[in-house]
Amino acid sequence: MDTAMSQQNLEEMLDTVVREVTESTAGIRLYHDTQPPAGDLCTIYISFQKGLRSSLSLCAEAAMLKRMTQNFIQSEDVTLQDLEDFSKEYFNVVCGRVAAILFKTTKLAARFSVPDFYQGRYSPEGFRDQFVLTYSSDQRENAQLTHHVPRRDEDEVTATTTLT
Amino acid sequence: MVVDDSRMVELQMKNLLEDTDYEIVAYCRNGEDSIDTYGQIHPDLVTMDIIMPGMDGLETAQAILEKYPDAKIIMVSSLAYEDTFDEAKTIGAKGFLDKPFDRERLLATFEQALAE
Repeated sequence: MDTAMSQQNLEEMLDTVVREVTESTAGIRLYHDTQPPAGDLCTIYISFQKGLRSSLSLCAEAAMLKRMTQNFIQSEDVTLQDLEDFSKEYFNVVCGRVAAILFKTTKLAARFSVPDFYQGRYSPEGFRDQFVLTYSSDQRENAQLTHHVPRRDEDEVTATTTLT
Repeated sequence: MVVDDSRMVELQMKNLLEDTDYEIVAYCRNGEDSIDTYGQIHPDLVTMDIIMPGMDGLETAQAILEKYPDAKIIMVSSLAYEDTFDEAKTIGAKGFLDKPFDRERLLATFEQALAE
């Protein structure tokens, strides 16, 4: 995010927010891990607008999002639509918290898009991953929160050179 | 009346308002529909999400309040910071409830808005 906040502070803030919101909305505690999510995956994606030019995605194992949805609606019966609706609302809360903290720190009033939900892994075009936070749940389900920033011209040159 | 694009919020509101004095009389998934619905049923209270496709909640609240100045609208959002609070207050919203919320905070915000 093009804010006065350092990358380290931003990473710490995002880490705190995602873990707090996951526990408060879905009763699941996240732990730091190095194992990326695998198998049946879903991604929730939000792009920031009005003052910020970056985006956030959460790629998680579907089993974890299903369990979060079950906890939230207090029912074992969860459809794919329930899972999508919950995931979008959950990530909306995560990003709202992020925007609120950014405002307190930088006085930048960020807004963001309506969340998008994808089955599988999703990476936005024209962006590069600035950093990735990897988590596992108490049941060894994995998830990754990625902060995407706009790709610069020099990234394109580097990518082309590497490919060549 | 609940205005929120998320079906999860509908479920959550229904659960939290069960066995209370409140009843959800209408549910709208977007701002545009809620303006018409408000005119038809004139609910005692409206909860309005901010981040929605199409008209956002602040634009919708403003449109309702221009047409129906007595409308009691509570903004419900995770965008809980001064800039949004100020905008909601300027428009004439009666309260702000930040997500996630529980029954206690929901009812307290309702009572406060209705008492004004």
